[in-house]
Amino acid sequence: MRWYIIRALLVKEWQRHLANRGGIALAVLLVTSAVLLSVFAPTEAAAGTGVVGGVHHCYIDFDRATPLIKHLQLNTPPELNGQIVFRDVGRAEKINGLIVYPTGTGALQVRQTFAAQATTGRDTLTVFVWHPDGDPAALAPYEAWFWRESRCYFAERARTKGLEQLPPEPAFDAQNDWTVIEAHKRFQDQIASAGATGASVVVPDLEVNRKGLGGKVLDFRAAVATGLVVFALYFTCVYLLPTLNCEERERGVLLAQALSPASPAEILGAKFLFYPTAGIILAATIAAIYKTDVLSSLFFWLSLLAVGGGFLGIGMTIATLARTQRAAFLGGMCYLLTISMLLLICSTNSIPFLSNLAVEYHGPRILHAALSGDVYPSHWLHLLGAVLLGATWVGAAAWLFRRRGWQ
Amino acid sequence: MIRISGLRVLYGSFAAVDGLDLDIRRGELFGLLGPNGAGKSTTIRVLIGQRTPSAGTVTIAGHDVVRDWSRIKPQFGYVPDRENHFEEFTGRRNLEFFGQLYGVPRMRAQDVLEMVELDEAADLPVRGYSLGMRKKLLLARALLHEPQILYLDEPTANLDIHSAEVVHRILRERVQKGATVILTTHDMDEVEKLCDRVGIVCRGKLVALDSPFALKQSHIERKIDVIRNDGERFVFDLENERSRNELAALVSTGGAASLRTREFDFHATFLKLTGQSFE
Repeated sequence: MRWYIIRALLVKEWQRHLANRGGIALAVLLVTSAVLLSVFAPTEAAAGTGVVGGVHHCYIDFDRATPLIKHLQLNTPPELNGQIVFRDVGRAEKINGLIVYPTGTGALQVRQTFAAQATTGRDTLTVFVWHPDGDPAALAPYEAWFWRESRCYFAERARTKGLEQLPPEPAFDAQNDWTVIEAHKRFQDQIASAGATGASVVVPDLEVNRKGLGGKVLDFRAAVATGLVVFALYFTCVYLLPTLNCEERERGVLLAQALSPASPAEILGAKFLFYPTAGIILAATIAAIYKTDVLSSLFFWLSLLAVGGGFLGIGMTIATLARTQRAAFLGGMCYLLTISMLLLICSTNSIPFLSNLAVEYHGPRILHAALSGDVYPSHWLHLLGAVLLGATWVGAAAWLFRRRGWQ
Repeated sequence: MIRISGLRVLYGSFAAVDGLDLDIRRGELFGLLGPNGAGKSTTIRVLIGQRTPSAGTVTIAGHDVVRDWSRIKPQFGYVPDRENHFEEFTGRRNLEFFGQLYGVPRMRAQDVLEMVELDEAADLPVRGYSLGMRKKLLLARALLHEPQILYLDEPTANLDIHSAEVVHRILRERVQKGATVILTTHDMDEVEKLCDRVGIVCRGKLVALDSPFALKQSHIERKIDVIRNDGERFVFDLENERSRNELAALVSTGGAASLRTREFDFHATFLKLTGQSFE
């Protein structure tokens, strides 16, 4: 590899885009979309995303407007004011599955049973935590507030029952049901041992049920931002790379370069350096406009490299198989539609495993996790999947290049 | 300089080049002629390393085109029959880009632009160029690194008379400086005027190899067209003694109004040699 040749080839690619302007116009459009997405954020929360935790709204659905609910309504923190919505759903059975929660939302369903109706003869507070699928901690800020205010309410209630000396506040982890229940039991015991009369009336029993909402993971704005980032990579690697490569091949310019001292490795190397780099720069710009902090995240950069590598392999494969610019364009379109249909069919029919074979399955998940800052071990597995698929695509493309001839 | 021995190129079962033997000397302007599909372009494709021979060998300055391709590559310039420029770039930018690949100074682009008389249009995008200008830009690109070998596939197609003359002048200059030029063309006048030697290929085989002059000598028609004073036309065959005597008698009696020798017709010769003559 000779640097002066690589540099000449890279400058040529850049100047071709400057002269044609179509690619640059689309890149500017993507950046403008990211700016608009950031400027027209509904709240200031989470660096302009409108999302707190993993959702943009948390519904507090209750069957009875008890003093507990009133206490919660009166003590909503200002930072969650726009996100928490109280709803009286009237009947208890309505809570158990008849409510549909839109994408990007979650819910804490509060169901209260009093001693008179309960088979146990004790007051029971049952909390259903409806969180986005695959993200059980998405409601963490809301849960923390809920448990804290519930305890405050019960403590206040103990005071009214004549208990002046309140026990110290137990520590609990809002994301861990066991510690929540244990902390609640300790609290109950402490109230009882402190001499409050009718401890179960003061502090009811607690049940916590945690359920996924079934695919409703993405917040709309975060999804748009993720879409822009993914599209920036797709556009440069799966659309621009094959079409411009095939255009050069069709016009014979690739032959002219091949007959110059530039070696095939240098010509192809410059192309395969330019397009993923341009895609990653564009994607990082879009992501930074949406959420600047993401640039300091290692996971974000690894995600960009993995998805960029995967798309590069796909683009290279299309560039090898297609002989003309039109064929390359149609190849990119066909791939996009095919993979979209495949993922949709797998998702709607709950077909296992097959989706894992698509870079487009892992890519948006890891990029969304990186953009939202909620990276869990499952996302690292998705990253690994994207890296493996990317390597497979690049390997397949290299094999095809050798077999079919790069010109 | 260029040695082609027993070259055979197959496309499936079809032999595009079938046992071609050819030696082209250093500093020679060689014309490779033949009808469409004769195997000229395939031969050129082998010479520029874009087609691997099915059999036979091709060496350039002692280097095998298949094995020593990287050594041969910087030594030649190629003008294809189909223009292949970056349409969105100016003529100058096209040349500067290829100049960078060849590692020649930036000013060399201006030199070759002036050489092919494109300097005034140098800063216009190629998409606005005429066919002739594009052809001249191809030649300029091939000359950038002053190659020792030039392959030209119909370099004067679509060129006006003046531009064709410019190309001819440049080729002659290159040959005078010791470069070897291989030219394919369908313009027989160009071949006759320009080439030191001509090889005519047909159906993948070499059917004639000589200088245009020698070909002229061996295929000239020794006949004289005469118009008599009474307007009647006759053809006298100089190979035939009786015909010669009749012509002498006619001329000596002053009965001939006009006489015209039959000039050598390269086109007719070409058609005859390639088996495509009009009967």
